[in-house]
Amino acid sequence: MSLISTRDLTKSFTPDVVALDNLTLDVDPGIIGFVGANGAGKTTFIRILLGLLPPTSGSASVLDMDVRGDQMAIRRVVGYMPEHDCLPIDVSGADFVAHMGRMSGLPFQAARERAAEMLRHVGLHEERYRLIGGYSTGMKQRVKLAQALVHDPKLLLLDEPTNGLDPAGREDMLSLIARTGTEFGISVLVTSHLLGEIERVCEQLIAIDGGKLRYNGPLATFTELTERLVVELDDDSPELATTLRSRGLDVDANATLLRITVRDDSTYDLIRDAAAELGAPIARMHLTRHRLEELFRDQVAANG
Amino acid sequence: MGETQIASAKGPGGALYDLGYQRYTGVRLQRANSVRTLFAFSLRTAFGLGRGARSKLIPSIILGIVFIPAIVSVGAASTTGFQALISYSNHLQFTSFLIALFAAAQAPELIVTDRQYGVLTLYLARPLTGVLYALAKLGALIAAMMVLTFGPQLLLFLGKIFIATSPWAAFKDEWTVLGPLIAGTLTVSAFIGTVALAISSFAGRRAYASASVIGFFLLVPAAATVIRSLATGETKRYLILAHPIQVIIGFGNWIFHIEAKRRTQVGRADLPGSYYLAVMLAVIIVATAVLLLRYRRSEA
Repeated sequence: MSLISTRDLTKSFTPDVVALDNLTLDVDPGIIGFVGANGAGKTTFIRILLGLLPPTSGSASVLDMDVRGDQMAIRRVVGYMPEHDCLPIDVSGADFVAHMGRMSGLPFQAARERAAEMLRHVGLHEERYRLIGGYSTGMKQRVKLAQALVHDPKLLLLDEPTNGLDPAGREDMLSLIARTGTEFGISVLVTSHLLGEIERVCEQLIAIDGGKLRYNGPLATFTELTERLVVELDDDSPELATTLRSRGLDVDANATLLRITVRDDSTYDLIRDAAAELGAPIARMHLTRHRLEELFRDQVAANG
Repeated sequence: MGETQIASAKGPGGALYDLGYQRYTGVRLQRANSVRTLFAFSLRTAFGLGRGARSKLIPSIILGIVFIPAIVSVGAASTTGFQALISYSNHLQFTSFLIALFAAAQAPELIVTDRQYGVLTLYLARPLTGVLYALAKLGALIAAMMVLTFGPQLLLFLGKIFIATSPWAAFKDEWTVLGPLIAGTLTVSAFIGTVALAISSFAGRRAYASASVIGFFLLVPAAATVIRSLATGETKRYLILAHPIQVIIGFGNWIFHIEAKRRTQVGRADLPGSYYLAVMLAVIIVATAVLLLRYRRSEA
């Protein structure tokens, strides 16, 4: 069974504004990171999966249910946590999550029990009886997650769940997401504009840019694709870059800073040997990562 | 934490165990359940139930004002034996103004807050369409207004029967009024409720919505009065139909078989009662259509 599947999925709001451009992908169950810059089409993608926006062309299905014909059935087994505020202020967390459980089809008693259970899971204890208006941003994010989980969905769609949180709050939210995906066995699609953040919790990765699919596959492969070795030299040594290039490495040199694409372990050997031959004064070496935007720019350049 | 302790206390032999995450294997109800749930939740919201103290203020005041005269009237009649209770049609006119205020205050509470705070997004991600959402909200508002209009009337009705020396005989005399009572209060509630919700569906904030609804029920009558004063003859007679309050009065007179006093506007216009009903039904249909179209865009 395929978790999410799209074929030539396109969504344009006006002829000029194409939010999703011929997206074809298949996603297996698991924890999936969905990255792209702001405005790349992440929210549009989620809204199409929920049947809230009709695709302009192409098709999409969730758990083998079509987003156009079966959106009610999809919504019964999908939990959605929107990016922006979506909570009333003058209802208690416990009441609201239970209400949302009933809206998803749970009977009264089951909704109340599961609401209590989910609020405990996300770490809201006594506060759940207070009105949501008095909650901190972190607590609100927890309620948003709890209402997405209350009806025991098969798939969770989390849109930028760490937005607006302080570093500790981000950490908490990410470990909650990881626990939900692993312990609960619920598939999670989590979007972010920060790859560094979600790569810690996800197993698969989808990257889009300007509505176009850039990557869809295991996270590990993506990491290899995007990793760069930074070599810092004590003083300028242009020969090192030249030598490494002549030995087939992809080197981006900028005075005393070399950025080298790591292919496999032999890359390190090549650098070691070249540095030893030339007596290049290496001060420091560390692995870094292309920022998403850079990666996309490189690929666009390469494709174009 | 509380749940964990309770769970472990119930465990066999008192052994500690962690329930962990439990999948839900019970029944999953259909869309009709979601609509019912939203209706009931919104009806409670209309009276501020399950909400903070401030949300209960306006509904409580209006509840008090509409019920107290009926309660006092019944109470006074029962102790003095004096039978002159408030008439149904007087009470309908009296509550019309109050339920318009209630609608202006609570219609925004029902739909504007959902938009303003983004809750609508969560509702629409549930097995529910935009149109069903709007219908559930409309039903809840009209039901709440029925509590305010039909509730006191029912009290007056029961009062009349049980104060009478022979309740059964009184019931046989009075029961025919139940039909007009229900039809009358329902039509007036729907008339004001649909307009209030349709107007509120365009507002981004509660205060704007409330002001617009109040404005509608003040400005339209004012405009109708001005235009009427300029008109003459037949046109003048028919222009009363543009005045919401007079329409309610004309409708109330008709449904309770009351001859309008000649000096009142309704008396002077001397139109068939069904005209007032026709205007109200037309307004209800148009306002409902506007509301549903507003929310139809929200569904795919």
